[in-house]
Amino acid sequence: MRVLRSAGWLVAAVWAVSAHGSVRIEPDGIRLQSPGQSQRLVVTGGTDCDLSSSNPAVVGVEADRLLARSPGRARVRAICAEGSGETAVQVGETSAEVGIGFERDLLSILTTKGCNSSACHGSPAGQNGFRLSLYGSDPRLDYDMIVNGHGGRRVSPDAPEESLLLAKPSFRIAHGGGQLMTPEADEYATILEWLRQGSPYGAAGIRLERLEMHPAESVLHATGSRQPVVVVGRLSDGSTRDMTGEVRFSVNDESVVAMDGRGTVRAKGPGITTVMARAMGKAATGQFIVIEARAGSGFRHPEPANLIDGHVFQKLKSVNVEPFPVSDDRTFLRRVYLDAAGVLPSTDDARRFLSDPRPDKRANLIDELLDGDDYATHWLVKFEDWFRNSQYYSQGRTNGSFKRWLGDSIREDWAFDETVRSMLTAVGDTTVRPAGNFWHPAIDFMLKTFEVEKAVPTITRLFLGMRLECAQCHNHPLENLTQDDFYGIAAFLARTRVKHGYGQYRRIWYNDRRGEIEHPVTKQEVAPRFLGGELAEIPDGADRREVLADWITRSEQLQFARATVNRVWHEYFQRGIVEPFDDFRSTNRATHPELLDDLARFFIDSGFRFKALHRLILNSRTYQLAAHTPGRPGGEHPLEDILFARYVPRKLPAEVLLDAISQVTGVPESFRNYPAGTSPKELIASIGATHFLTTFGHPRRDIMEARSNAPSLGQALHMMNGDVLAARMDADGFVVDELIEQGLGDGAIIDALYARAFARKPAAGEKSVLEAYLATENDAGRSRRQGLANLLWAILNTKEFQMNL
Amino acid sequence: MLLTEMRRRYSRRDFLRVGGMSLGGVTLPQLLGAAPSSSEISCLIYFHTGGLCQHDSFDPKPEAPREVRGSFGTIPTAVPGVRFSELLPRCAAGLKRFSVVRSMYSLEAIHEKAKQYAFSGQRPNNAYKHPVYGSVVARELGSRNGVPPFVVIPRKDICADAGFLGPSYDPFIAGDPSKEKYSVQDLALPTGLGLEEAQGRAHLLSTLDARLESLEKSGVVEGMDHFYQKALDLVSSPAAKRAFDLGAEPDRLRDAYGRTTGGQGALLARRLIEAGVRLVTLFHTGYDTHSDNDKTNGKLYPEFDQSFSMLLEDMESRGLLDTTLVLAIGEFGRTPEINHSAGRDHWPGVFSIAAAGAGVPGGQVIGSSDAKGAEPSERPVSIEDLGATVYRKLGIDTHKEYHALGRPIRINDGGQPVRELFA
Repeated sequence: MRVLRSAGWLVAAVWAVSAHGSVRIEPDGIRLQSPGQSQRLVVTGGTDCDLSSSNPAVVGVEADRLLARSPGRARVRAICAEGSGETAVQVGETSAEVGIGFERDLLSILTTKGCNSSACHGSPAGQNGFRLSLYGSDPRLDYDMIVNGHGGRRVSPDAPEESLLLAKPSFRIAHGGGQLMTPEADEYATILEWLRQGSPYGAAGIRLERLEMHPAESVLHATGSRQPVVVVGRLSDGSTRDMTGEVRFSVNDESVVAMDGRGTVRAKGPGITTVMARAMGKAATGQFIVIEARAGSGFRHPEPANLIDGHVFQKLKSVNVEPFPVSDDRTFLRRVYLDAAGVLPSTDDARRFLSDPRPDKRANLIDELLDGDDYATHWLVKFEDWFRNSQYYSQGRTNGSFKRWLGDSIREDWAFDETVRSMLTAVGDTTVRPAGNFWHPAIDFMLKTFEVEKAVPTITRLFLGMRLECAQCHNHPLENLTQDDFYGIAAFLARTRVKHGYGQYRRIWYNDRRGEIEHPVTKQEVAPRFLGGELAEIPDGADRREVLADWITRSEQLQFARATVNRVWHEYFQRGIVEPFDDFRSTNRATHPELLDDLARFFIDSGFRFKALHRLILNSRTYQLAAHTPGRPGGEHPLEDILFARYVPRKLPAEVLLDAISQVTGVPESFRNYPAGTSPKELIASIGATHFLTTFGHPRRDIMEARSNAPSLGQALHMMNGDVLAARMDADGFVVDELIEQGLGDGAIIDALYARAFARKPAAGEKSVLEAYLATENDAGRSRRQGLANLLWAILNTKEFQMNL
Repeated sequence: MLLTEMRRRYSRRDFLRVGGMSLGGVTLPQLLGAAPSSSEISCLIYFHTGGLCQHDSFDPKPEAPREVRGSFGTIPTAVPGVRFSELLPRCAAGLKRFSVVRSMYSLEAIHEKAKQYAFSGQRPNNAYKHPVYGSVVARELGSRNGVPPFVVIPRKDICADAGFLGPSYDPFIAGDPSKEKYSVQDLALPTGLGLEEAQGRAHLLSTLDARLESLEKSGVVEGMDHFYQKALDLVSSPAAKRAFDLGAEPDRLRDAYGRTTGGQGALLARRLIEAGVRLVTLFHTGYDTHSDNDKTNGKLYPEFDQSFSMLLEDMESRGLLDTTLVLAIGEFGRTPEINHSAGRDHWPGVFSIAAAGAGVPGGQVIGSSDAKGAEPSERPVSIEDLGATVYRKLGIDTHKEYHALGRPIRINDGGQPVRELFA
């Protein structure tokens, strides 16, 4: 539970700071171990504040800090011009040290710094006489090697800083592996503290469980304004400690803020950035938004249409960034067709929508699209990306059955929690029980066996938005994600097996009666354990995976829903509310935590129906905002894009672009072994996808990786010179021939091509440019058809055509 | 012109940072009269797809039993005491131009994983795909003389791409120059389209694009614009066309390289390096000899021998070897013992590579394998070490980290540059 609760904490704590102007004094829940300790405080939402203590004999107040004087309880109050706030303080009787241990703390450093990798000391021969077990698989041996090996020179109890264990990686003494840490690094401080504590194997004393930064979020006005921050450590005995002076701060985007000395953030330029504080292998983050004074007064925003807009506009208001206006009907039309259905609106679709007088015509169009086949076909490709339906794993034999099954789930809008349960608990032959294809990416390509290690991170990342890959080899350096978590989940899959049917292409999943997972470090059998440490109860004879599926879709329903809605949100807005969209961590903050939770609850209440979620998003004003507005070029102000103040233009995915080209030119793509008119979205295998598709980013789906839509040279060359356009211009049914056939004049043909490609009319300036171009072509002795074909080439090569705006 | 090019190449923030340092196209080191910076070093990788058999090439074991040493004899080389397989007579004679590492090892035995490992210097994992050397080079050093920074000959290999860096840094695919009607895909204008006509419609395109460009200043739009510009340059630049035009080479030289994929590929690779490509990878396929090892190798290895030795000779005579690191590597070696199908299977335990140019001293044999050619016996060299060597030669910081996918990712996981390959 620990992990998820900390994710919950992240979500809960962020919002309040500047929204309501109420005075807050932080941190709260201060519990100092003993008299003599102190804690800095930070007050937000107030100016001209005075701090006072309800019991000065227990807790005194000096400037911005409180001092523990004697055991007991007190409250500290801030009275400001705007109001007042309070925090409770407890003082205990005795203090205890935070302990550092080899197994818990040092191994993680050695692994994350690569010291025990196969290329360094983890190689069978070690390096330079210093050998470690690969990725710390044998901690006892490593401990002995470090503490007792090399005549004890690796650790110097009397002069810890002289220890080779510090002198080498910090390059004070020449080190073949180069400089891996500076004396300022957190890792250096942790190793030093461990040496000072006498280099114990296990950690003595209490443990630092969590760091918190206060305020967790703050809005600063550009250039020079300052915000003090306080970092508090929560210890395993329930006490707190002021660690502001001990942590290492780092700023993610240094153009936004800088750290002034210890614990003051200074605004530099507009934007949003995370500041991280690290100590003893833990981290805390704060989010800092720097805003510019905006010309004009007042804050305008469209009338909110649903819960999404409420959150988004409120957030924008708090940082004084006005949302763009709502897009016009033509822009919305093209956009929503491409995003929801993956196709361009036909000329008839456009005419019908644009002439529709009903005020709710956008909502009606959205309903229509979500009920159509194109929606299912389009989102199926995304599902295939997510669930990695790839020939790479099943040699193409069962990709089709999985594709149909996923397609049905989308078209018929199955409850997603049930779909996920079906996949997680699948048994049987995957040609007839398609859900089992979900497990195929975890089959070793050569050995044809099920690899538990590949399945674990796939499950946590897809369904909980949590990345566990690192924890396979080492405890996560900054999170409470450990190897025990990884292998605890793996234990649920310990009895999952696959066998290969005839021709070795048929895959049959089943559960063995026995089988356990061995922990690579402790070499002990691992019991099935949920993330965070709670042991699972497995009913006799039950499939362990059912217990895991229950936990994900029921016990952890909110996180399951958050991860899912965030994934869909990312598709529409090009970034998640948590970004990367499948990397929920306490150190990775949500921009709109309350929105995320509301969306997650909405999704749960809808019965985990994607269509309901799409409908909500598509009907929001936020989704319908313009990408552009006069006087505010898009892409210049990072906050606008990060906080969803406009629609962020994006390149069309490979399959959508190819379908759009077919639509506009009137010439469909033909694929080998498929009937004419097949959409690239309907192809069954991903290996062997055409040159066009792979060049435009169709992924191999061999690893968990979001599809990239970055531009490339190959794309530009292929659109300019490649068959995708050149061959269509010679094909039967080419749109220019059809339009000439209809006896249209140049002006009407231009209008028709614009309507097909852009769903708009050419602007006056554009039309004259195009007509002048046709005249030049004519003068150069080229046929009318050739001139028009070249004109269409230019249209299809525009960014406007290749993007959704 | 320079300014717009600079603006194209760098995002606004980068531009500010870089702009202060560049003075009319002259870099600071050039102004100060320093030695040519290491970013002038190029790299050419002759890749043995499937894995070169150590026994039949640079590390024969004439003393071993027949099922280990195979059926080919050995010959002396230009370096006394060093012998190669008889399949590589010209490499043997030219050993002064290059060095051999006989103690490379890999940790992956499946083609896909081993290739990804060898192409990137980073062991593949389940979490992300690491960019290959060429993609890192493209990202760090950019393009030179208007030609793509990273080119692959002849075909795309699914293991050789930019991984998490994204398709912007994927290789440019050159095609197979040994084919009768060789042309680079999409580089030539469509049949029947004149250059003037193409430029006319490209001009119309830029006029139409201006509308969106005035409204949208995001990286995606700038990136698309950048690549369209590059594509146009490439299409209309005679220099780029010439680089890919093997017809410009004398027939005698083309024959000397061999009219094979390896031969013409190596020649094309040389032309591309000359034209300014920073990293060229030539995939020479067919080394996966699970059966009939002798029959395949008897034909394939002489093709490599001829093309590789000719390449080094040619590059040396043109002075290109001083500024180009040339590597001949595969993803692994082949099993020490010949199998029941008279073949050799995958063997990452030990294998041999060749290295030349960019300050690599010639005539050395670095490391050694055991009596069977199964494991390194001296000076084991890891894939990471080779990666560190490549980056060091090209002037890229081996400790560089990318921040991607929410985590720091080192471009090289603790490899040590192979010091013997530095003069």
